[in-house]
Amino acid sequence: MNKCIDSDIQEMLPDLLHRALSDGERQRVEAHLATCESCKEDLEVLRTVKSAAVFAPAIDVNSVVRQIPPYRKIVPATERPARTRVASWLVAASLAVVVLGGGSILLQSNGSLVSRSRGQQPALTIAKVPEATKPSPLEPVPSPRIVQPTIAPHPHALALAAEADGLSDGGLVPLMNDMDGFDALPASEPDPVISVDSGDSL
Amino acid sequence: MNPSPEGRPEETDMELINRWRAGDGRAATRLVGRHSQALARFAASAGERDGIEELVQDTFVRAFASLDSFRGASTLRTWLFTIERRLMLDRRRAERRSRETVPVEESDHVSEYGALDGLIAEEAQERVRKSLDALSPTQREVFTLRVQQGLSYKEIAEVVGSTEGAARVHYHNAIKTVKEFLKDE
Repeated sequence: MNKCIDSDIQEMLPDLLHRALSDGERQRVEAHLATCESCKEDLEVLRTVKSAAVFAPAIDVNSVVRQIPPYRKIVPATERPARTRVASWLVAASLAVVVLGGGSILLQSNGSLVSRSRGQQPALTIAKVPEATKPSPLEPVPSPRIVQPTIAPHPHALALAAEADGLSDGGLVPLMNDMDGFDALPASEPDPVISVDSGDSL
Repeated sequence: MNPSPEGRPEETDMELINRWRAGDGRAATRLVGRHSQALARFAASAGERDGIEELVQDTFVRAFASLDSFRGASTLRTWLFTIERRLMLDRRRAERRSRETVPVEESDHVSEYGALDGLIAEEAQERVRKSLDALSPTQREVFTLRVQQGLSYKEIAEVVGSTEGAARVHYHNAIKTVKEFLKDE
């Protein structure tokens, strides 16, 4: 027996069994079956398989229904969409930049105004080493390069942490003004002459 | 819409689902009655031996618990087959794990088939069962869904998590194997 090559018809055979074909399709398949032994055989196999599908146990509908929980509407979590969350973060970040940037500009401009109004020296002069912090004659004499303004301690800076707690608002203002003029970072990388401090080990 | 035995038009699955959501428990009974035997047949055809009733029950419990996620894109029966198939796979995985720890005695295996023989009354059914046993699990699922349940390839692809093309190939290979097996018997 020749194998049928009409795959369309072959694929429609299960639908013929389940009466799922339109009238036109059914007539086409039946006309083909009248002449094709291979498809006739296939259809017989499918009939056998379909009719054999009866050995499944009978299901007790009521016992199944008893196990079904009553309907509860699933309320979706009120989570905002990701886009809204990203937008919120962007707004918060922008606000933070504005507040911090604006605040620091304000503080800087206030500091320079107060300094000028008091006739103080520019910020760099703060970095000068006061007399009290100069090394004693017993200590090794540092090279002049050590006494660079950028690495010298500020007279107020050392006492700042200790004094800050005890200051009133009025006392804090001049201190903060001084801090505004204080260069926290050196203008350039310090030279490696700091090794002179190793005199401690002598 | 087909008429019911009482002469009224048969309600669609979606209408029954909406009635059940509105608190009508009889709608659940109608839905279970409509689909439970198809689920049992699918399980049996897919090679389930024991606990088919329990499997069908679990399928409905799970389906009704998540009915809000059923949008009607496929038929309810296709959706139920999908749930049942997942449960069958879970069961088989669990059985494999338990077999790894507790080896099954040969006598247990024989008695299992003995019970099944009691269910299979006719010789033709036994032959068909054997021919289906010769198929790979996926071929078997595709073939029985197509032949015994009358699902389209699109629906079968949805149930087995594959493509229509792959379902077609599985079907053609399966019918070839079954035909040869039944000829040789």
